[in-house]
Parts: sequence; C-alpha cells; structure tokens
Amino acid sequence: MPKCTIDGREVEFKAGENLIEVARKVGIEVPYFCYHPALTVVAQCRMCAVEVEKMPKLQTACSTPAAEGMVVRTNSERAKQNQKSIMEFLLINHPLDCPICDKAGECDLQDNSYKYGDAYMRTSEERRTYLDLDMGPVIKKNMNRCIHCTRCIRFGTEVAGIHEMVAVQRGNNTEITTIDGRPLETDYAGNYADICPTGSLTLKDFRFHKRAWMLKKTATVCEGCSKGCNMEIHQDNNVIHRTVPRANPEINKYWLCDEGRFNYHYVVDPKRVTAPKVGAERSTWHAAVAEAKARLHGKKVVVLAGTDLTLEEAKLLQDFVPKAFPGSALLHFGTPGIETTAKDAPADKILKRKSKTSNLNGFEKLGIKPLESMPAADAILVVRGGRAQLPKVEGLSNVIGLGVFTESESASFAAVLPGTSFAEKDGTIVNYEGREQRLRRAITPVGQSKALGEVLMLWLHSGAAKEAAV
Amino acid sequence: MAKVLSEKFYAEMKKLEPRYPTKVALLLPALHAAQDELGWLSSETMEEIGSYIGIHPAQVKEVASFYTMYNLKPVGKYHLKICTNVACCLRGAYDVVEHTEKKLGIKVGQTTPDKQFTLHEEECLGACGTAPAMMLNNDYVENLDIRKMDEVLAKLGVKG
Repeated sequence: MPKCTIDGREVEFKAGENLIEVARKVGIEVPYFCYHPALTVVAQCRMCAVEVEKMPKLQTACSTPAAEGMVVRTNSERAKQNQKSIMEFLLINHPLDCPICDKAGECDLQDNSYKYGDAYMRTSEERRTYLDLDMGPVIKKNMNRCIHCTRCIRFGTEVAGIHEMVAVQRGNNTEITTIDGRPLETDYAGNYADICPTGSLTLKDFRFHKRAWMLKKTATVCEGCSKGCNMEIHQDNNVIHRTVPRANPEINKYWLCDEGRFNYHYVVDPKRVTAPKVGAERSTWHAAVAEAKARLHGKKVVVLAGTDLTLEEAKLLQDFVPKAFPGSALLHFGTPGIETTAKDAPADKILKRKSKTSNLNGFEKLGIKPLESMPAADAILVVRGGRAQLPKVEGLSNVIGLGVFTESESASFAAVLPGTSFAEKDGTIVNYEGREQRLRRAITPVGQSKALGEVLMLWLHSGAAKEAAV
Repeated sequence: MAKVLSEKFYAEMKKLEPRYPTKVALLLPALHAAQDELGWLSSETMEEIGSYIGIHPAQVKEVASFYTMYNLKPVGKYHLKICTNVACCLRGAYDVVEHTEKKLGIKVGQTTPDKQFTLHEEECLGACGTAPAMMLNNDYVENLDIRKMDEVLAKLGVKG
C-alpha cells in the first residue's frame, strides 16, 4: 500500500482517500465544516487547509487525495494561523447565542472555535440578521447562525433526491432557504438538523427539550420498518428526548427517515396503557392476569403476535402457547398487505421499506405463520410491541391485549396486560436481508409495564387458574 | 394552474433547445426570455419555468436570485441602472444618482408609484471610457451629468 507522512507519522492509505480520512486513521484530527463523508466535496469552508511539502499554498485536506510520499503537516504555524483566521471570518456574523442554542454541546462551530479559534475578536460591526422562515413541521431555521457550508443543500440533492433547500442571493447575503419558506417535502428532513454543523437547522421536535450534554445515549436499532437502520436513543430521567441515526455504512449510512426518527413518541404517549386493565378499569397485575386467564380458559383461543416483537419474545410465545392453550394457533400480524417477506420491498429509493415492523423476517425464520384471515375463535390473545398494526378484533368479546396499546386501541379488550416497547427491552431483530441486530434497553419500562417473560411467568405460576376453573 | 408564459415563449424555447447539451442549460435563456416578456420574474413564472425544464422551482429561484440582472420585483416602464463603479464614481455618478432620486422622488431600488420609473445602482457596465454611464432598459446612455440626466428624463415625460 502507498504511504504518506502526516505530522511526522507514516500512514498507509488506499488510492483516492483524502487527507482528512487518512489523518483520522492515526488519530490526527483535521477540523472541517463543509466536508461530510457521504456528500460530495466542495472545499468551501477552508477550515481543513493543511501544509503539504512542495506545494506553495495551503491545501484543503478534504479535496486533496493522499499521494505516495506526500509530507503533510496539519499543525504547522501557517495551518494554525489559517484555522484561526477562518474561525474569525465565520464568527464575524455568528451570534453568541450558544446558551439558548440547541446545538450547543454538540456543535462543530463551537468545538472548533474553542479548539482552534481565538477567544477575542477584532470586529465590532453589527452582525447580519435575518427573519426566520418556517420550514415545515420538522425543521426550524435560524439563518443568523448559518456559516454557508451547504451541507444541507448537498444532502437534499444527493441523498434525499430533491433540490428544495437552496442558497438564494450571493456573497455575504447568501441565505439558505426553501422557496418562499415552503415546508420541506422530503421524508428525510430530520437529517438536515443532524448534518448542520451549527444551530442553523434544528429539530422542532427536540428544540428546547434538553441540553445535549445531559442526554444518555443507547445504541440501538430503529423498529420503523424491516430495514433495521442503526440509531441511538437519547434519554434523560427515563424520558426519551430524541433518536438520532448511528452511522452504519452497510445499512443506513448516516441517515434516518422521519417516520423512524419520530416513532419513539408512542413510548411516552400519555394515551398508552401502562397499568393493567380489566375492561375499562385500572386494575392490579394479579387481578388482570386472573381475568385474562378466566376469559381464555377452556375456549378456542387464537394467539396473534405482532412482528414488532423480538426473536426472543417470539420464541417464548412459541413455547408458551402449546402449554397454555393446547391446540391453539400462533399467528403473526404487522403490516396489512405485507404478510410475508416475499411481499416486502423498498418503499422509496433511500431507506424505507414496505413492511412497517422490524422483525417480519425473524418470525418467518421461526416458522410462525402469518394471519391471513381471522380464524374461527371464541377468544383472542393479542401480543404486540407497539408498532404492528392491529387486525380487526372489534365485536369479539374475549380479546386480551398483552403489550403496548393505546387507550382507544384497547377500548374493546376484556383485559390489558401492559408490556414493553422497543426502547424498554433487549432483544434481537432480523432485518429484511437476514441481518441479526440487537435492540438495547434505553429506559426502564414506563409505569407498571412488564417484559413479556415476566408476564408469562405470572400467567403460568399464579394460582388463579384453579379458582377460575372452579 | 393558469399559464403565465405565452406560446411565443415556448416556441422560442423549442428553437433554443438544440443549442444546449442538457435541458437544464436552458434555464438562463428561459429566465431572460420570461423577463423580456413579463418585465420581471414572479414566483409563478419561476414555477412554470421549473416545471418546463424539469427542475424544482427552488432551483430556479436559486439561480435567478444569484444574478442581479433578473428582476425579482416588478419594475417600472423605464428601468434606470446607473453604474457606480470606480470610473463612473470618480466622474460623479453618485451626484447623478442623488439628483435622479430627488427628481423622481424615490430611493435606489424603488419604483415610482405610477409604475413608470425604477432606479437601480449597477455594477460596471464596461463603459468606463465614457463614464458615467447608465442603462435605460436595454440601451446605454453615456457621458452622463446632471444636465444630460434632466434631458433624458424630460424626454421620458418627467416635468421640472
């Protein structure tokens, strides 16, 4: 492999790799704003300029491919002076509103200013200011903070496939905007906030909810569809504040769709049933399990399991059902119309897939059959994680819900045993291509919710069965 | 949506299309033709051009707002663009601008209420040898001074 020297250290590289990537291999950080590994290189922020021997001027590391024998210095006096000057230029118009800015704590501009900039500035002119335009339901724009890196524009054209975010006017007056402040059309708008190196584009969903440094992060997987995009849950005090994409070059690269990003809301939905219920009344675990057992005892039972459950949960049910209800069928449900993986297909050109649950493939691997039409039954036990779309069970009198339901979904149920959502449990899910990934428990179960294993143990070992049988 | 641009515009575009390697390259001439026809580029016009060329209207706006010679606001019947770059400035262009502002009762960038005159400062017109210069719609008026400006305005019907 060819070699070059960066800050006195010899580094091997692959042809075509740029100096930022090569330097990162040996832990040398080159600061940058406009560069993003998944977007085209424009080299317009000039922050990453480094000194290359035998080249008269500083070279931007993002647009300079490493070459055999190249000698690069990222921390020479000239390079440092350049970084200081660029920071000064960028901050001429940047407001000092970090204390009220959502990006503070995870802001490239803030970090680089602290590391490479000067604590003092020489200008006292008024900063350029703009009125904020609305950008639809997902993104809030604050143009005053923008440093014209154009990452958002490139994300729109290159990844989301829509040229809706544009830079109007020119030079110092450049403004990033949608046409006349129209709402963003893409389903991937949340990524605009992620890639913005300043607090210019922020998520409306997260704005003013929590300071970035207070959030505890759990690496997990999105359960929004069968793609299995990697993401992080950010929570504090057992409250999920947001979910962000986690880079995985083989699945979702750096992105997450809005549907998956905002899917977590049902976990903390005030309408979610988080206490055991008998009929419409709140009850105790003991009474609710007893009621459920009584309702199902001696009946022809069908057990329906949502494909939003993990492999472990599905396996538990596979063992539990023949024991508790001998001869009963265990069928899975999830997305109407997409009952098998053969019917699953990409829903757009980027990430989304048609199966709107995470584990359809896993259920098929376990050999659980899909629910195609409701079989004749006197009683139904519905088990689900919170995302699978419920089949029509209204009109049936003995329906027991086990898992995550809202008040209205479970209104006709005889009893509800609250279970856990994807954020409250560990488990394995299998995505459309057969990749097994782990869900990680980010928060403790909300309210009195219990994990499926615990509920089934209660069911099997409580003495209520005998009483009910009498 | 009702069409803003005429059949003539589309006929002209048809004629121009083979000249360019891609249809997107037609954007600048299309904007020029639309401005010649309507005087300025409204959101509706840009939207129509966008759908004709097959790009997002925001992209049309991006380009149109970059170049200063596309009017994004309606202009008067007579559009005065006075050069204020170095040569013209040294030869008294700002005096002419100030005089014209007073005479028309508007500031630079504004249009008279009767929609007759719009006044703009312009960057170098390349007429430094005959500075100060201005453009009156598509024509050059050179060797400007206050007296010559008065004559021009008188011809266009400004009294006093």
